Amino acid sequence: MMRAFITLATTMMVVILGSCGTDYEVSTSEPPQGSIQDIEKDLQSELILANDGDTIDLPAGVFGFTRSILLEGKSNILLRGAGMDKTILSFRNQEEGAEGMRVSNGTNIVLADFTIQDAKGDNIKTNDINGISFINIKSEWTGEPDETNGAYSLYPVMCKNVLIDGCVAIGASDAGIYVGQSTNVIVRNSEAYNNVAGIEIENTVRADVYNNSAHDNTGGILVFDLPGLSQLGQQTRVFSNNVYRNNYTNFAPEGNIVGAVPPGTGVMILASKDVEIFNNEIIDNKTGSIALISYLFVEATSEPVEEDESRDLSMAGNIAAYKADKSYDPYPSGISIHGNKISNGYSFPTFENDIGYLLLFKFWANGPEILFDGITDPKLGDTPDMTSILCLKDNGEAAFANLDAFNDFANVSQNKQPHDCTMQPLPEVILGENLIANE
Amino acid sequence: MNRALILFIWLLFCLHCSCGSNGSSEKRVEVVKKLQTANDNIRQERNDLGLGLDKLSEYGFFEIPMKKLIPVGDVLPYDLNTPLFSDYAYKARFIKFPEGAKAMYDQKEVLDFPVGTILIKNFYYPKDFNQPDGERQIVETRLLLNNDNVWQALNYIWNDEQTEAYLEVTGGTVDISWKHTDGLIKNVAYSIPNLNQCKNCHAYNNAIRPIGPSARQLNRQYNYANEGHNQLSFMSDQGYLEGLPQMEAVPKLASWISSDQRIADRARAYLDVNCGSCHRPEGSGNTSGLFLHYHEQDMAAFGVGKAPIAAGRGSGGFKYDIWPGHPEESILLYRMKSLDPGVMMPEMGRKLVHEEGITLIEEWIRNMGD
Repeated sequence: MMRAFITLATTMMVVILGSCGTDYEVSTSEPPQGSIQDIEKDLQSELILANDGDTIDLPAGVFGFTRSILLEGKSNILLRGAGMDKTILSFRNQEEGAEGMRVSNGTNIVLADFTIQDAKGDNIKTNDINGISFINIKSEWTGEPDETNGAYSLYPVMCKNVLIDGCVAIGASDAGIYVGQSTNVIVRNSEAYNNVAGIEIENTVRADVYNNSAHDNTGGILVFDLPGLSQLGQQTRVFSNNVYRNNYTNFAPEGNIVGAVPPGTGVMILASKDVEIFNNEIIDNKTGSIALISYLFVEATSEPVEEDESRDLSMAGNIAAYKADKSYDPYPSGISIHGNKISNGYSFPTFENDIGYLLLFKFWANGPEILFDGITDPKLGDTPDMTSILCLKDNGEAAFANLDAFNDFANVSQNKQPHDCTMQPLPEVILGENLIANE
Repeated sequence: MNRALILFIWLLFCLHCSCGSNGSSEKRVEVVKKLQTANDNIRQERNDLGLGLDKLSEYGFFEIPMKKLIPVGDVLPYDLNTPLFSDYAYKARFIKFPEGAKAMYDQKEVLDFPVGTILIKNFYYPKDFNQPDGERQIVETRLLLNNDNVWQALNYIWNDEQTEAYLEVTGGTVDISWKHTDGLIKNVAYSIPNLNQCKNCHAYNNAIRPIGPSARQLNRQYNYANEGHNQLSFMSDQGYLEGLPQMEAVPKLASWISSDQRIADRARAYLDVNCGSCHRPEGSGNTSGLFLHYHEQDMAAFGVGKAPIAAGRGSGGFKYDIWPGHPEESILLYRMKSLDPGVMMPEMGRKLVHEEGITLIEEWIRNMGD
């Protein structure tokens, strides 16, 4: 298929003191030209009538859809195209449905070897599946990244045994690869760029994220734990990834949690438990290579600055949300960061976000690579034992800062010593394991 | 002769081509999209799909002519206090009970219907909404069949002639127009769901289940052959329902449209019916943590001061699902007003904005802070 890839080097906003240069790249692809074929009803009918064990082959070509493609209540189905960029499912003219493709309530479903584009909502959402694989799928919004793009490119939620392998996710206004409220997850050998968040693991139990490339997003790889959801996250390993130049402007529509991610974020951990980040190359993320924050920090920074009536509700609402969730713990713990290669060739953090200004004010042009908001559970006292919260080991020359955000950044500390420790390595995720224990 | 004709057609074709490639888009003749009728959505070849009866008439629910929707003896009509908005379509609802079997009363959820029950819902548009009993077009009939306690959804599309409805799995689009209650003509490209779309709303812990006929919805008057009865007492008296308590103990859902009921009750009823089938812990909208069903007591889970989880641009740039006193900055209302597939709620089942529903919810949110 004729597909033109135009790489545009976009020059960054001219920053004070003229620190010039490109701080991210945009690779836009155009929507497919030529004839768009209609297989909508045939494919949908085939998916409705599919039997256990069926393989459904999509031919090469460009296929246009007006409604979501739905696969529901099936087992052991392989839906495969003729190859990434060869079979293109286009939702440019979608009239109905909140996602391009939706797969729900099933077991052992494999989606493979196609490109999906331009859904009005999420490109592919899968929920309540035990055994869902995305193999060699490109999922993108064509054209310049824009807040009118859909939220998630590849979006398994409330699934068990998830494999995302060899996929490419481009242009999502929230997260390119987003795994939410799932258990036993592997994301590997994939690429995410020009998204707000490249790869996001949220409220997920046991995830391995490795051999991926997350670049030119606002934030490269995020591990988040949010209140009020069906489960809390636990145990995520992020290793051997290439996380670079995630300086893209944050184009998330307001009101979304990723809207709070400052451009220039390599890896961000929010309120998660047991996260091991090791052997990654985290390069040229201008604001923070690795940031570790509590949910309180997000709340505080996403409040409106003006003292208006909305402030009251904002606090009341958010606090209500997590106070109502008795099991939620807003403080991260068990975070081990070791053996990463971290560097940042940029002098200044982002100026799009208050965090950037704060870092500039505190550190001028020597912003530390590893940032910790320093907010810990009051139950642990004023000087908690950091060795159960955050350990740092063998991260080269990367500088560290505890921002003391709870006290309005009064006692910022760059002392790594309290974090000079190691934690027990987390076990490998093996798909298909531990299912019974979780039922 | 023949040659000249071919040449002529060829010339015309070339002219057409050059027009297409050189002409600016303003000059291009606008292609009028052909109106889609019901028959465009009915397969010519009637091969057996192995799902159910091919024609609606084969069930024998209605007297002939079928389009009058006059039920035969054991098919019971019913109505709901607050119906789902489906692009202003009218709905004629019926239950076919298996012989001698009864439904069990349930205080909270849909009645427990016996194996063999079929719920029948006909979607139609009167030509003039001020004369709802006048000429009309029936578009589709949706069935829920209780096969051994596993519910199955089937959908039948009525032909343009209104003589028969045919089983289809992929749904379709039918262009409909009618004279609305305000006297203006309204049009909609009415969307008939495919069978998987049915499951999106009817999923309860991933199994299909009826949504409408709960005690609180059925607790209302109905005119049976010119005699008014409460639907639940009537069903009980006729031997279709077991376990009905004293009527004072039966919950009653507000009618969303009844101006003599409390606005909060009407709004809760509206949200329960239009949102609560998915936005409940057992429904397909449970990933959001927003629960709008009748039984939700926690106002944060109900959306008050609740930030979205994965709404994407569905947030509209607003921070809370419901902000008391501020309907204009409440995500819930923003999504109700949208027709963008990536934003709108409900995410299927409508192509139009429900103006009257929005007015209700707007007023409710505006007065919430008081």
